[in-house]
Amino acid sequence: MTDTQTPPVTPYRSTAVPAGRDGFVQLLRAEWTKLRTVRRWGLTLLGAVLVTVLVSVFAATSSKVQFAGGGDRGPEPTGPGGVRIVDSFRYAHQALPGDGTITVRLAEFRTGEGSTPEWGKAGVLIKKDAAPGASYAALMLTPGHGVRLQNDFVHDRAGSNSPAGEPRWLRLTRDGTTLTGYESADGKEWSEVGAVTVPGLTGTVQVGLFVASPMVDTMDRQFGSVSVSSEPSRSTAVFDDVTVDGGSGDWRHTDVGEQPGGDGQSSGPVGGEGESSESGGRFTLTGSGDIAPAQYNTDLAAMSLSGTQLGLVLIAALGVLFITAEYRRGMIRTTFAASPRRGRVLVAKAVVIGVTAFAAGLVASVASFLIAQPILKANGHKPPRFPELQLTDGPVLRAVLGSAVLLALIAVLALGLGALLRRTAGAVATVVVLFVAPLVLVTTLPIGFAQFLQQFTPLAGFAVQETLTRYDHVATLCLPEEGCYPQGPWIGIGTLLLYAVAVLGLAVWRVRRRDV
Amino acid sequence: MSEALLTGAPRVTARGAGRMTGAVHAEWTKLRTLHSTWWLLLGIVLCTVGVGALTTGSLSAGDCLARRTCDEDTVKLSLTGVWVGQAAMAVFGVLAVTAEYGTGTMRVTLAAIPSRLRVLAAKAVVVAGLAAVVGAVSVLGSLYLGRVLVLDAGFTAEAGYPPIGLGDGATLRAVVGGVLYYVLVALLGVGLGAALRDTAGTLTGVFLLLYGFPLVAAMLSDPDWEKTAKRLSPTEAGLSVLATRNLEALPIGPWAGLGVAASWAVGVLVVGWAVLKGRDA
Amino acid sequence: MDSIDGTVQVRGLRKRFGSVTALDGLSFTVTPGQVTGFVGPNGAGKSTTMRIMLGLDSADAGEALIGGRAYHALRTPLHEVGAMLDASAVHPSRRGRDHLLWLAHSHRIPVRRVDEVLEQVGLASAGRRRAGGYSLGMRQRLGIASALLGDPPVLLFDEPVNGLDPEGIRWIRGFLRSLAREGRTVLVSSHLMSELEDSADHLVVVGRGRVIADTSVRELLATASGDRVSLRTDARTEAMTVLAAAGATVASTGRDTLTVSGPSAEKVVQLLSGAGVPFSEISAHRATLEEAYMELTGDVLEFAAAPVDEEDAR
Repeated sequence: MTDTQTPPVTPYRSTAVPAGRDGFVQLLRAEWTKLRTVRRWGLTLLGAVLVTVLVSVFAATSSKVQFAGGGDRGPEPTGPGGVRIVDSFRYAHQALPGDGTITVRLAEFRTGEGSTPEWGKAGVLIKKDAAPGASYAALMLTPGHGVRLQNDFVHDRAGSNSPAGEPRWLRLTRDGTTLTGYESADGKEWSEVGAVTVPGLTGTVQVGLFVASPMVDTMDRQFGSVSVSSEPSRSTAVFDDVTVDGGSGDWRHTDVGEQPGGDGQSSGPVGGEGESSESGGRFTLTGSGDIAPAQYNTDLAAMSLSGTQLGLVLIAALGVLFITAEYRRGMIRTTFAASPRRGRVLVAKAVVIGVTAFAAGLVASVASFLIAQPILKANGHKPPRFPELQLTDGPVLRAVLGSAVLLALIAVLALGLGALLRRTAGAVATVVVLFVAPLVLVTTLPIGFAQFLQQFTPLAGFAVQETLTRYDHVATLCLPEEGCYPQGPWIGIGTLLLYAVAVLGLAVWRVRRRDV
Repeated sequence: MSEALLTGAPRVTARGAGRMTGAVHAEWTKLRTLHSTWWLLLGIVLCTVGVGALTTGSLSAGDCLARRTCDEDTVKLSLTGVWVGQAAMAVFGVLAVTAEYGTGTMRVTLAAIPSRLRVLAAKAVVVAGLAAVVGAVSVLGSLYLGRVLVLDAGFTAEAGYPPIGLGDGATLRAVVGGVLYYVLVALLGVGLGAALRDTAGTLTGVFLLLYGFPLVAAMLSDPDWEKTAKRLSPTEAGLSVLATRNLEALPIGPWAGLGVAASWAVGVLVVGWAVLKGRDA
Repeated sequence: MDSIDGTVQVRGLRKRFGSVTALDGLSFTVTPGQVTGFVGPNGAGKSTTMRIMLGLDSADAGEALIGGRAYHALRTPLHEVGAMLDASAVHPSRRGRDHLLWLAHSHRIPVRRVDEVLEQVGLASAGRRRAGGYSLGMRQRLGIASALLGDPPVLLFDEPVNGLDPEGIRWIRGFLRSLAREGRTVLVSSHLMSELEDSADHLVVVGRGRVIADTSVRELLATASGDRVSLRTDARTEAMTVLAAAGATVASTGRDTLTVSGPSAEKVVQLLSGAGVPFSEISAHRATLEEAYMELTGDVLEFAAAPVDEEDAR
């Protein structure tokens, strides 16, 4: 038995340890120490980097392109600002030495056999000269998008939504480098479509009528297979009441530029030669082609980052384990006893795992890009058919940094799910079902449902890997198979961010209320 | 079920078959008495049927019929949920083994039934049996909902789409194949679980195997490579059994594809058995 | 650091888990400078109480205050309360020292303190090994080290003796006493009174979520049913008659053995010799803490084993 001694009255005061401080930085440090001291987690992170790089390189290695005719073509035309463009159309024009106005009535606009291109164009056009790529401004009617005022290929402004079936009056006025477009239903009451400044339109320019009719893409898509066929179209426009103020010289008829789809060695344009005639002030123009920025189908940057799709599995597993391993062993009690403000602990964990995943993801995406690009080039993905990409290009930088952010957000989302479910198996499976299964499925589901998944599930984050510039005024097919996300990169990664924040917020709310 | 386990009568335990049923009975009791088993199995059914219904519900014959060719495989679309449900099914198979390692129950199991082969076989039998039942419920449920939704979407007999029914040979093949595929995925989980033992590691591995192959295949632009990858993939090849139309577009024949998945499952089970036998518990 | 008075107060704690009442209005106070034993059978609510003290579980009613404040209000808890709840709550792949390191980082405790506490619990050399390879006793020591890390005035240990070898048990008893001597509040839970017999000064005995006794060890022993004397004699009936006549309570415990309560051994010898009753053996039996405890908790055992003979009869 023991004797009971009189307890000392003075309470214990520590002399061994200096007073600690309560702060978020300490939490971050503690969580970082936790992360780095489990060797297996370090290996998982390394594995994620390796898987990402290897799969990206593998995808690059296996993708070869070959072209009939060797693929050597002259450089494709570029417009003002160096954008690659398509510039081919039928043009009836005369010289315009100074300021002036062209007014026409577009009496008829129809497409020949086959389907109607939504971005077919007919109207009035003022261009520096008839060479492809020369600066221009055009006021036009389109079958699918009403009246538009476009200039220098990438700029587009909408006018009225009048259908192509009805006659329409169009007027384009030049005042120095300022071009103003007007439209009217009857030639009496005019409304302004807009005014644009085109710096290239100085000195003597060409003024006239034009018609362009782009390729029509049709898609045949079934469970697991997709085939896209492009067919040229040919449209005819009839103009009457043509008046040109300030024009000089005779009317000339030109097929501007090379037709799309030709490889430079075939004899004629794919859509056939343009035709035009004039009789009694009535112009009839028939032609193919388009006036627009060129679209690439293959996103080389996204292709060289495709390993992220598999690397994410390891990152997600790590994010889940970072919290569920603590629950499984009961270590979470030690953690929450040391830091009773549980929400802050969870946020500190999210910051640590997020930053770590970002760093690993950045290493992985930069390495993937730098290794995969030369391989892709060697396999035929090179100019002029494919762009030359640099790491420092804006969209490429966005894709590479964005891939790292993507992995970071996935890790945070996984952490949040782990905190909510507390079970490793359940949380890992949920992340996989959220990300990986849809990635596989979007290529096989009906396109409406696939695009729904791409836009409204966390999968949307992968949109950040897109580097192709998509113009609203060019008809394109946005196929999940080609990694096209309809909403664009920023909205895509923003959607994932919302998911990650929401899940983490829910986890904080839950963890603060629940017994551990 | 097993007299041997209940009474321990030496007459019965001496027989190999009796010992095997004992092991199976033990495994069944272990799985049956865990709440998580039933939640997981319910999850499999809900995932499969739910995703299938979402897919067929989003269909519209109008989009399809406007195209030059319309050849939607409505049976396969109804069974899209299998792509997602297999994740839960894999978790089921994996946890049947790794949960025992996580909690240390495996040592008790091996002390009670020293033959590692018998333990693994018993687990495989029980997991496969449950997977078959749950698979059948999931597949038939998906198909029933699919039949209704597909009709709503306008895929009627007039449009060349007879109602989905089991009388059709190809549909029956898809159903039987889908159930067998689920069994194989569960067995893949069991085998990989026995080989790797750690829950998180095994799950990562099994998901990479199930979804990694099709993802990589989709990245390949060379058609030959793509076809080879799809033929080797347990998922792509295995699920070709779900197709009822346009079979020539498949990378591999329906039954041959299921054979690929079966080879994966058997291969991984053998590896799992070897690890179980060769390594200390 | 906030100055903290190391008194731990538990007031009217109630907690239900579904249909099970774990705590049913638990109240007691733990004072500094002594080792307080927190005893009760398995399932009596000891661990739940400790989790509520640490703010891990929330009580349905009542409160647990440390130095007058709720745990949640402590800004640097490691400097104020050190706790060891579950020794196995360590990631097996992490080295023992690294486990303490992250805890230290959470309070900006210098790294040398980690090595100090490892030294203190005798894990200096094992600290660089993975915790997964630790024996139960080593994990127990690691848990104690983590409680000591912030050098707090209040220490809570949940079943610290579990899994220790005899040497370890001796070590921890001395260690707990030395911590209390420094003026700290030390609360040690156990389901075995014998573990606390040589170390605790004060006892809080709980059963079925209620405090059965809150008393010093000395008082508890005094309330226990006193001393007894065992006697072996061939003349059982005579001995019983003589002793009962002298006011002692006599129970027959065998064919030739008796247990006598009341008089001391000397008195019994005197009585029997005086009456000429022969006896072959006599031994004094001092009440132990264990017996006092069994007496207290006998009717509140949550998972009492059925008596053996009943089992056989079935």
